[in-house]
Amino acid sequence: MALTTAPDPTRGGPGSVRAHTRRRGPGRIRHSEGLAGYVFLSPWLIGLMGITAVPMLLSLYLSFTDYDILTPFSEAQWVGWANYERMFTADPSYWHAVRVTLTFALIAVPLKLAAALGVALLLNRAWRGVGLFRGLFYLPSLLGGSVALAIVWVNMFNRDGAFNSLLGLFGITGKPWVNDPDWALETLMVLAIWQFGAPMVIFLAGLKQVPTELYEAASVDGAGRWRQFRNVTLPMLSPVIFFNLVLETINGFQGFTAAFVLSNGTGGPVDSTLMYTLNLYITGFTDLDMGYASAMAWVFLLAIAVITAIFFSTGRFWVHYSDGEDR
Amino acid sequence: MHPATPPTTDAPVGRAHRTPLPRRRLLRGLLAAAVAAPLMFGAAACGDDGSGAADPNAPVKLSIFWWGGDARAKLTEDALALYTKKHPNVTFEKTWQANQGYFDKLATLTAGGNPPDLFQIDDNYLAEYAARNTTLDLTSYQKSGKLDTSKFPESLWQYGVVDGKLAGLAAGENTQGLVYNKTLLTKNNLPEPTTGMSWEAHIAWAEQVTAKTKVPGTQDPSADYKAFWVWLRQQGKDLYKGKELGFTAEDVTAWFDLWKGARDRKATPSADIIHEGNSSDVTKQLVVTGKSATSWVWANQMPDLKKNTKDELGVIAYPGDPSAQWARASMYWSVFKGSKNRDVAVDVINFLNNDQEAVTLLGTDRGLPSNLDLRRVVSDNTTDPAMKQSIAVEAELTQKFGPSPQVPIKGHSKVKSELIKAAENAQYGRATPAEAAAQFVEACKSAIA
Repeated sequence: MALTTAPDPTRGGPGSVRAHTRRRGPGRIRHSEGLAGYVFLSPWLIGLMGITAVPMLLSLYLSFTDYDILTPFSEAQWVGWANYERMFTADPSYWHAVRVTLTFALIAVPLKLAAALGVALLLNRAWRGVGLFRGLFYLPSLLGGSVALAIVWVNMFNRDGAFNSLLGLFGITGKPWVNDPDWALETLMVLAIWQFGAPMVIFLAGLKQVPTELYEAASVDGAGRWRQFRNVTLPMLSPVIFFNLVLETINGFQGFTAAFVLSNGTGGPVDSTLMYTLNLYITGFTDLDMGYASAMAWVFLLAIAVITAIFFSTGRFWVHYSDGEDR
Repeated sequence: MHPATPPTTDAPVGRAHRTPLPRRRLLRGLLAAAVAAPLMFGAAACGDDGSGAADPNAPVKLSIFWWGGDARAKLTEDALALYTKKHPNVTFEKTWQANQGYFDKLATLTAGGNPPDLFQIDDNYLAEYAARNTTLDLTSYQKSGKLDTSKFPESLWQYGVVDGKLAGLAAGENTQGLVYNKTLLTKNNLPEPTTGMSWEAHIAWAEQVTAKTKVPGTQDPSADYKAFWVWLRQQGKDLYKGKELGFTAEDVTAWFDLWKGARDRKATPSADIIHEGNSSDVTKQLVVTGKSATSWVWANQMPDLKKNTKDELGVIAYPGDPSAQWARASMYWSVFKGSKNRDVAVDVINFLNNDQEAVTLLGTDRGLPSNLDLRRVVSDNTTDPAMKQSIAVEAELTQKFGPSPQVPIKGHSKVKSELIKAAENAQYGRATPAEAAAQFVEACKSAIA
């Protein structure tokens, strides 16, 4: 994300507009161009204000109230910090959902990135038909958060699903993966990891940009494959890794669709797939406790912000932005 | 030579990830506008309180929302068309969907200020809505005769009374029904279960079925609130007493122990199959998918089950004394309190329950017709064997029914899901029956507080 905010004159950020108008001179023109800018932005701004900002602020307010969504806003009872207190002191299923989500993200995100990078390295060669493979590996992630895919997944990993039939060929008796509380979350992880196409494409683009003379120089210096990967590829790729890591972590925390479909909206079996967002949804829409659900949403927002901030603050130790001048 | 390595790679990437967002926002914006507009109109409508004193022939567009399958949709649409034929000024905006997600949608519509004028609801949610003043109190219409319940069994319409207000009118009557696979039993020379069998006898019978057919004899109903409820009533307890729970942790432990015993004796399927039954809709109950010989359902669901299997099915009451069962309103029709068409909506409810043509059309899809005279007409004329069967069973049970319990209270939907969680914890062996029971009671107390 740091990358996208880096000044880039071709993208016409605020800096470039100013430089441009300064050449023209009169402030009136600058003003009218600014206005035009806002006019062009307005559909988005209206969307942002009406659809994102206002509801967000409302939900912040609701998080301090006892509000079931059936009664009008005006009748929401102000309860101060009670919702937050309940979350931190009196709601074991909340903490269970936090644990499930952390487990999911801690395992699925690194494995997904590793799979994406591994396959990207394999596909970053001039084989014949490599384009086809790139397409095929990218395909699952196009299906994204689709409900249909989750339904297919449930049927594949049932007791009598395709996966167990496959295991049967090797004489292995499978488990009822999606209906076993010890395995349901793992099944969801596999689904998430399998959809590594998007980070893979980004890695591929990053790999293409690593200057070949760095490899040449390294091999002249006697570096083998592994040393080249370790000392050239990884540092050169680190901004892309960082970008993928931040994005996929946020995605991982927000996983909802697959868990919802797999458990019929319950988080079952026995809460094993009760992801944070699913718990929030159940609290708000099934248990009709929208005030409490809003409080959960705000804690979630803060938690993700903190985690992202941690990534950014540690990033300077391992993310390598240099383009060569200081080397 | 440095083609600004990562940044250039990143620029298209960044863009690729960012462009869809504004469009999605825009879509969301349009959606919100669509939600917000009726909200404003809805608010205006509440304000002017035009509750029908206006011209009775003025055109009315009534929104109506129900859950169910294709068959129910067809029947309901036909019945509503009949109403429009008789009252040309009234047309309907019909919305229907599967049961799963129905109440999420209804809650969202209500929150958006855009609830349907007339909607289907069941006893799991009636109190949630009534306690929040979302449903119109139908008592005055009942008193004035605009809503005719004179032919209803009294206990049936009373099962729609929450805190002294008639919050919904029974759209039909049903009761708990234990459905078994007749074909499987006859093929294996096994006796059919009978109404009045004790729970012990039922489990022993199921054990025998498992041993002989390799199909588990009975679905384990320990996660099923309606089975638990019947069992409680046979112990002289109830699900709720006033605003409190009608049972203790000891009762729940005994219930879980009963079924742990059954599982140990292989009378039931394994925990994952039980879970499958717990989390599937009526068309995929284990008796239909062949994964157990019996399933615990509502008697009016027989036709739905029958459609999904080639086997013959039988239906009886749940085990134990059948007087623990009652004439339950299978579902209700309720009117949104703020509806500006409430008089018309009430008249439609009256029509769907008391007009002979409409009731004959609807059959027993929502349960036995509430109007006893018309129930007789329907049962005399029906040709569908599955429907005939569920009518026969309910007619027989009607003689044995006990008094209705109170309508489940606010927080009941949470109690239901907590029971599933606790029972499955015990089934998967992650907690002893006593531990699971203690957790359950604890969770219930905070759910109904």
